[in-house]
Amino acid sequence: MSLEPRASGYLSAPLYLACVVLVTGAGLATAMALRPAFAHRVLELVGLEAMPQATPNSFYATRVGPLFAQHCTSCHGETRQKAELRLDSYAFALRGGRHGAVIVPGKPAASELMTRITLPAGDDRAMPPEGKTPLSPDDVTVIRLWIAAGASPTTPPSAIKGAPRLVAEVKFPELDPAATRRLRAPLAGDVERLSARYPGLVVYEARNSADLELDAASRGAAFTDADLKAFLPLRSHILRIDLSGTAITDASAETLAQMTALKTLRLANTKTGDETIAALARLKSLRSLTVTGTRATKPALAPLSKAGVAIHGDDNAD
Amino acid sequence: MQTDPAVPTPVAGEQVRVWDAPTRLFHWSIVALVFVSWLSADQGYMTVHLWSGLSLLALLLFRLGWGLMGSTTARFGDFLHPPRKVLAYLKTQARGASPLHAGHNPAGGLMVMALLAVLLAQVLTGLFANDGLKFSGPLALFVSDDASDQSTRIHGIIFNIILALVWLHVVAVGFHHFVKGDNLVGPMVSGKKHRSRVPESANIIFAHPALALGLLLASAAVAAWILF
Repeated sequence: MSLEPRASGYLSAPLYLACVVLVTGAGLATAMALRPAFAHRVLELVGLEAMPQATPNSFYATRVGPLFAQHCTSCHGETRQKAELRLDSYAFALRGGRHGAVIVPGKPAASELMTRITLPAGDDRAMPPEGKTPLSPDDVTVIRLWIAAGASPTTPPSAIKGAPRLVAEVKFPELDPAATRRLRAPLAGDVERLSARYPGLVVYEARNSADLELDAASRGAAFTDADLKAFLPLRSHILRIDLSGTAITDASAETLAQMTALKTLRLANTKTGDETIAALARLKSLRSLTVTGTRATKPALAPLSKAGVAIHGDDNAD
Repeated sequence: MQTDPAVPTPVAGEQVRVWDAPTRLFHWSIVALVFVSWLSADQGYMTVHLWSGLSLLALLLFRLGWGLMGSTTARFGDFLHPPRKVLAYLKTQARGASPLHAGHNPAGGLMVMALLAVLLAQVLTGLFANDGLKFSGPLALFVSDDASDQSTRIHGIIFNIILALVWLHVVAVGFHHFVKGDNLVGPMVSGKKHRSRVPESANIIFAHPALALGLLLASAAVAAWILF
């Protein structure tokens, strides 16, 4: 390696650096002019642009934002920003993407977002793209009305007329048969034995539950105190019992008092009375009791009523 | 404008060959392909993007091989220096002195390695990336959707690093040209430098072009194997 004595260019180093700063600045300015999304990011970074937030109960937060979250943000969100567009917040949605704003407040027809979500399914530019869950006509109407009303972050739902009713989405938990089997294992033997002896009387409350319901009403007078006693092994799992029209008497008072998980009990048209009612006071989980056609009296029912149990059919009680 | 009486005025015929054709073709092909890759991704021409990315992969594999068995100035051993040597070089620059190098100077060598590394990372992440619509990299099917999305995110970040390195590269080349009067672009086109810019001790051995061709074909075969 050998050395040249000194520099021999056209510019001094400071002048060159000044030129670099100037050219780089001009390049950034051009990029900002051509790419609004980039401009917003830069301005936000240097604190020259605020991020408007939607109010929690606004039309945007309750109706529009959830639609974007459901249909758009997998590609236009925090993880991915196709076309540099994000729809995971009000500020990002209004900011637009690589080619500028996609929402023009007050002008749905001029909004690229509206154009895209209303294109026919076969169109390459249609959004959401093929394979993704499409927006329903009601969803499109919600977004159109919001943009037409000014695409505000604060407008309350009541201020935008004509929006389709909000339909609640219900999701069922996925079944795990193995987990359910494990849950039911301690009582499976008793359930099987009693089901064989009393077909159709005892059923599980849900497909993934170990809680039970006992419906003896269909047996009518054939179902006696002794039959009810046979279900005692399941006492901590029975949530609901219907004994309407059976031959149950106050002799079952103690049996019922041991059904510690019981929430709902129907004793309509049975020969039960205050003795049974008094025993039920020990059931802390009981919430509903039907006593139509029984000998239960109002004074006996009062403590249960005071404890928050809904009493049905006590109008004729003494 | 500064003049330096100590540096002889270039005279026609006083040119020394420093860069071989494969290295120069690689350099300008990379420039073109990075630009095509950028433009195609930006405009949504993903098939073009796929081919430009695979071409980049082939070229990068070629360059790794050429850095081991190519001509003297193309070899990593010629321009890869320890950090202290790079720092010492930058200090001499700050003092206004200009150490002569036939090929890449130590700072330039570091830039070459950085660009090769990020371009390789960019191409590799691109193989597993997706555009969230109808396009996925040729290896995206072999990883989970989450991994593909993560790869896509990194692909985007690396692109910004590439832009920053390209900016630094151009600024440094401009510094050599405008401040030091050392034109680096011309030799990367013609392959030749003025004798006054080449150390007298330089002993450049040029590898046979057939070797470059063989290496390029092998690299292209690897890229094609990934695609098919």
